[in-house]
This record gives sequence, structure tokens and C-alpha cells, in this order.
Amino acid sequence: MKRKIISALLALTMVISMTACGGGSGADSNSGDTAADAGAGDAAADAGSADAAADTGSGAEEAAPVEGGSADENTLTVWTWDPNFNIYAIQKAAEIYAQDHEGFKVEVSEVQSDDIETRITTAVAAGDLSTLPDIFLMQDNSFQKYATNYPDVFTELTSVGIDFSQFSAAKVAYSTLDGKNYGIPFDNGAVINCMRTDYLEQAGYTIDDFTDITWSDYMEKAKVVLEKTGQPILTSQAGSPDLIMMMLQSCGSSLFKEDGSVNIDGNAELKQIMEIYVQMVKDGTLVEVTDWDQYIASLNNGTTVSALNGCWIMASVTVAEDQSGKWAITNMPKLDGASNATNYSNNGGSSWAISSNCQKVDLAVDFMNSTFAGSNALYDDVISKGALATWAPAGESEAYNQPVEFFGNDAIYAKIVEFATHTPSNITGAFYYDARDAVGVAVSNICQQGADIDSEIKTAQETVEFNMGG
Amino acid sequence: MSGSSKKGFTLQQKHGLTGWVFLTPAVLLICWTSFYPMIQAFILSLKTGMGVNLSFSGFSNYARILKDPTFKQTLFNTFFYLIIQVPIMLVLALILASLLNNKQLRFKGLFRTCIFLPCATSLVSYAMIFRSLFANDGFVNTVLRGFGMNPVMWFANAWTARAVIIIALIWRWTGYNMVFYLSGLQNIEYSVYEAARIDGASPMQTFFKITVPLLKPTILLTTITSTNGTLQLFDESLNLTNGGPGKSTMTMSHYIYNTSFVQSPNFGYAAAMSIIILILVAILAILQMKVGDER
Repeated sequence: MKRKIISALLALTMVISMTACGGGSGADSNSGDTAADAGAGDAAADAGSADAAADTGSGAEEAAPVEGGSADENTLTVWTWDPNFNIYAIQKAAEIYAQDHEGFKVEVSEVQSDDIETRITTAVAAGDLSTLPDIFLMQDNSFQKYATNYPDVFTELTSVGIDFSQFSAAKVAYSTLDGKNYGIPFDNGAVINCMRTDYLEQAGYTIDDFTDITWSDYMEKAKVVLEKTGQPILTSQAGSPDLIMMMLQSCGSSLFKEDGSVNIDGNAELKQIMEIYVQMVKDGTLVEVTDWDQYIASLNNGTTVSALNGCWIMASVTVAEDQSGKWAITNMPKLDGASNATNYSNNGGSSWAISSNCQKVDLAVDFMNSTFAGSNALYDDVISKGALATWAPAGESEAYNQPVEFFGNDAIYAKIVEFATHTPSNITGAFYYDARDAVGVAVSNICQQGADIDSEIKTAQETVEFNMGG
Repeated sequence: MSGSSKKGFTLQQKHGLTGWVFLTPAVLLICWTSFYPMIQAFILSLKTGMGVNLSFSGFSNYARILKDPTFKQTLFNTFFYLIIQVPIMLVLALILASLLNNKQLRFKGLFRTCIFLPCATSLVSYAMIFRSLFANDGFVNTVLRGFGMNPVMWFANAWTARAVIIIALIWRWTGYNMVFYLSGLQNIEYSVYEAARIDGASPMQTFFKITVPLLKPTILLTTITSTNGTLQLFDESLNLTNGGPGKSTMTMSHYIYNTSFVQSPNFGYAAAMSIIILILVAILAILQMKVGDER
């Protein structure tokens, strides 16, 4: 009898292990669920999903998103991720559109940006696009990857009547592939340098001392600030190359060349930037924190002097109402000696896409055309949430010139729109995240394990080339 | 069924047939939900290309694995967890189980529940809690400072980050394995222990001469399931450390996930790596059965 029990147990074990393996080998279908579970964790872990991460406060598990289109003729389904930001914007847009179109509604599901991407990948892999909503929002940095690999997911928008010339060209470029438009630009990720003026005062500086400066100047002043206030000038999420990517774009450089080949090894600007980053970590003027939550905490509890990030970071900065009036905004430092260096860059930002599963393309296009590509009222309203338009006519509106009390009564919106116009474009391509990750790993190895900068850059180049070779 | 047949079945055949009828639904389900996807995954592993633009390329994905430094790194990480964590966890579980099997112990139910409880927590949430516990200014460092020790930047160093993952895994899974041992212990006659005690055996002797040999099938079962589970470790790597610093804590499953969903999607390559994990699990299971089963 005992023998039977043993063999039954063994058989059971084999079955368990094999079924479990089946799950493992079917990673495409299986991990989808896990990723959905990991929603909040993902957003926090990967600051690449910048906008999503700005909203880690509402990390709670959302209800299952509405899949597919709506049966109602006048309802569009939407996937987007931030209740304070893009969900608010699309609902406001629907409200405006409904004024002229009786009964129009949007059915919005809160889905984190990583999860939208995972869901799209899964849907395509399964060959069943019917689960996709009519409209979804996508990170600009991801757009090329999806437009290249899965063009079937999108409804092409090149000649449906949207005037793309009214958006900034650099922004439209993110959602354009081979001259075809796949997205309607939404928010702007112009980089701002948000600084605590009370700390600067203690160190004997004003915000003007940090305007239009270079990184070498910035690093020296950062040391003084550390000495006088005891606080690092910057905090950064360990292993996340956000800051490095912003610095790189500020001098018009990318991780890829025009022809799509990898531009990591031998990229003089990149090396210089990594050296600055590593040096600041050594100086103690840049402190690395473990995750996104701690990054946000450092901004809110006064353990850092500034936040250098896409302008959507304002939504997180302004949460600390007791610090109202103690913050100011200026542009970022520029790289010394680089020929195309500017004080402006971009991080994050996203564009709307109409899925190929959308049965009401005319309605969706008209909705977009009358709101995100044609409504001053919409942009004037959503600016209160820090959603800055990339639609040129909106920038001329009165709302953009209003002073903001939190930031010392400065007309920050007009300022940021101004920053955005100076931002150099960058090359993303389908392998953007592969390259970004490789650079992140390199920086992490250099800062945390003391690895050699040149060999790490070489490894990063090889990793990306390896991924592209498959 | 037997009535309509000309020859009729013997009683034994009838019993056998009934067994098969009961088994069929489960077997069909397993074939459909497990084996069919596995075959599909194998076919997928023979294709290369990005996204949906796939074409057959023979075994090139498998050749590619041999040249992939990241895969080697994740293989090392996974086996490191396996070799350190599984023995510690199983020994702990065995010790706890024999302590809790004591007939004189009071509040047994309470202790058992407490030790099993971690296993009921969600993988993602416990990983996130461990991340905040071991954060630079988290609870663990606060305690260390309280004792006058230097705080440790747990996630900044490859070895300490791996240690955190192992600690988390032990916390999460020890209770689970303990339950197996407890049920195994209940099947051992108490009179055997009594006899041993009368013969003057020390507690250590009883443990090694009676408990361990009689629990062997259970130990084998837990070893195989733990090995299997560790080789497929995913949630902790993704949520606790996100593979960092660098890639020094990333597991194979995490790399497979990244290959499919984070990087530009390369499903063929991801499937090939999954098949390699399957083969590794199978080899280890066979080895363990050979070593553990002395029939």
C-alpha cells in the first residue's frame, strides 16, 4: 500500500510540475495575468511609465477593465491610467463633446500603461483583437515599438481629417511611422527643474542662479547646497535611467543613430552624462532611492532640494500643500561642451490611439478632432491638472498665463510651453526600452558595484545589439 | 457497457474501465490546457522575428541562448536561490513541524496558523512589503540603527539583494512545506516514538532514526515542488528587486517576461528559454527521484 501512495505522490508531483511548466512555457498567456496583478508594482518599479508612476497614490487594484467596444452607438470605450490626469482629461473631453452631441458617452477603464501594453501584446499574440477598447492612451516612448511590431492594432489616422500640423512636429513624430500617423498627441513631458526656494535661500542662492546654467556649474552649486542645508539637490530611483535619458535628449542625442543602429558605445555625450551622474552620487549631491514611492516621498517630505523631471511631476509636488509658495520652476542645466546642448528636454508624455477594433471610427475621429485636436476649452480646463497641451492654439490661451500660487505666483504654464518649443527631438525606435534598460543596468553596476564605465558601456551596446539580432 | 459486448469483461477489466472513465475528463483537460500550449510553445520556439512577424528558423533560438550573457546571469541567479534557499527552508519546515507535532504543546492550532499564514498572502503584496521593510530608511535599517549598527543598503549590492529575496522566500514558503510534513508526521504511529523512548533513544536519535526516514516520501515531494517553484521564480524578482541592481537578482522567468513584454517582443526566443526551464526542471526531478527513492 505504501508503495502505491509513494507512486501516487510521485505521479502527482510530475503532473504538478508539468502543468506548472506548461504555464511557464506559455509565458505569453500566463504572465499576462501576473502582470495585471503587478499593476501598481510595475508602475512604481518602472519609472519609464512616467505618467503612470505619477499616480502611485491610487495603487489599489482596479476593477476588471471593460474589454472590446460598447454596444451603444454613442459610447466609446477607453483605456487610460491616471484618475487625476488623463482619465480626467478624457472625461472632460467627453463632456465638452456631449454638449453638441446628445447622448455621447465615454466608458473609461483605469488600466496602468504597462498593462495596456501587455494587454495589446497578449491580444495580438492570441490573434484576437476584439478585447481592445475603441481608444487607448500610449506612452510616446512605446509608440514606435508597437507601431513597428503591431501596426494592425492601430487605425491609421493620416487622412481622416485631423490637422497634425497644429501639433508640435517633434511630438507628432513619436506616433508616426513611415509617414503614417497612428496617434493623436496628448500631453507634454517637457522637463522642468522644480526647486525648493527656501532651501536655496539657506544656501545663499535664488532660482535665477540655476537658470540657463551648465552641469559643471550645477554640480558645484549642488555641493554648496548640500553643505549648507544637509540635503542632496536631487534624488533618483536606483536603476532607472530617467535622468540620464533626459540629459541625453537635452543635447539632441539618442541611443540610436538615424539608421537605427545602436549608439551607446562611442556616444561621447552619453559617457559624459554617465560620468556626471556617477560623480554626483559620489559627492552625495544625488541620492539614489529604492523605488518610485520613495522618490515621491523625498519630494514631499523635504529630503531633497529639487525634482528634475517631466512637467507631470508637478502633480506629485503640489500634493504637499504646506509647501505652497516654496517651490519655483526653471529649466534644466545643459551639458558642457556638447555642440547641440540645450537647457530643454522631455520625459514622458503620451498620445491617444484609436484601435483597429473600433467599429465607430467616424465617431471616434470626430470626437478627437473636436476635443484634443480642436478645443481650447478642454485644454484650458485640464491645465489645472498639469496636462500641458501639445496642440499649438491652446498655448496662446489666457489660462496659460495665469500665475500659480504654489510656485511663487509664477506663470509656470506659459514657461513650460516655452520650454517645450526648444526641446530637441530624439530617436526612439522599436528597441528603445531594450536600450534604456541596458543603460540603466550599466549605471546601476557603475554606481552600486563600482564597475568600470567603459566596459559597462561596451556591455550595454552588446546587450542591445544581441536583442536586435534575434 | 459490458452487457452489450459479446465476450463481456472480466471483473478486473470492468474495474479498470471504470477507472479510465473517471480519469478521462481530467486527462483531456490537462492535455488541452497544458500539453497543447506546451506543444504550441515548442513550435513557437522554432520561430524568430519581432512581434507577430514570425518565421521558422529551426533551432537558432536555442543556439542563441548559449551566446546570451543575460541568460547565463539569470541561470546563475536562479540556481543560487535554489541551492541556498530550498535546503534552509525544508530543514526549517521539518524542525517546525516536529516541534508542532508535540502532543503536550498547547495552542498548537494557533502556532500552526501563524506559521502557515504567510503562505496565504498575495505574492505581489508580500514582495512589495518586503521591499519597503528593506528600503534604505525602512524598518530593518531602523532596527539596525537602534542596535547601534550601520544601516545596510540592501538593494544596492548584488549579494545583499539576493539575500533579501532568499529571506522573503523562506518567510513565504516555510509554512507551506511545514503543512506537508505535519500531515506526514500524523501518519507515523505514536507507538513507534513511545517504543523508542522506552529503549532510551534521545530526541535527536528519534528525529534522525525515525522521523526523517518515515517522512522520506514527503521530503521528496517537497523537494521536487520547491525546486520546481524556485526555477520558475518570477514575482519576487519583478516586484521585490525588479531584477536589480543591474541584472544581479533577475530570475529566468523574469528575463522571459522581459523578452516578451518589456523589450521589443521576441516570443520565439522567450519560448525557447521556457523550454530550457522545462528541461532543467525535468532533469532535476528525475535526479531527485533517483536519489530519494530507494525501492
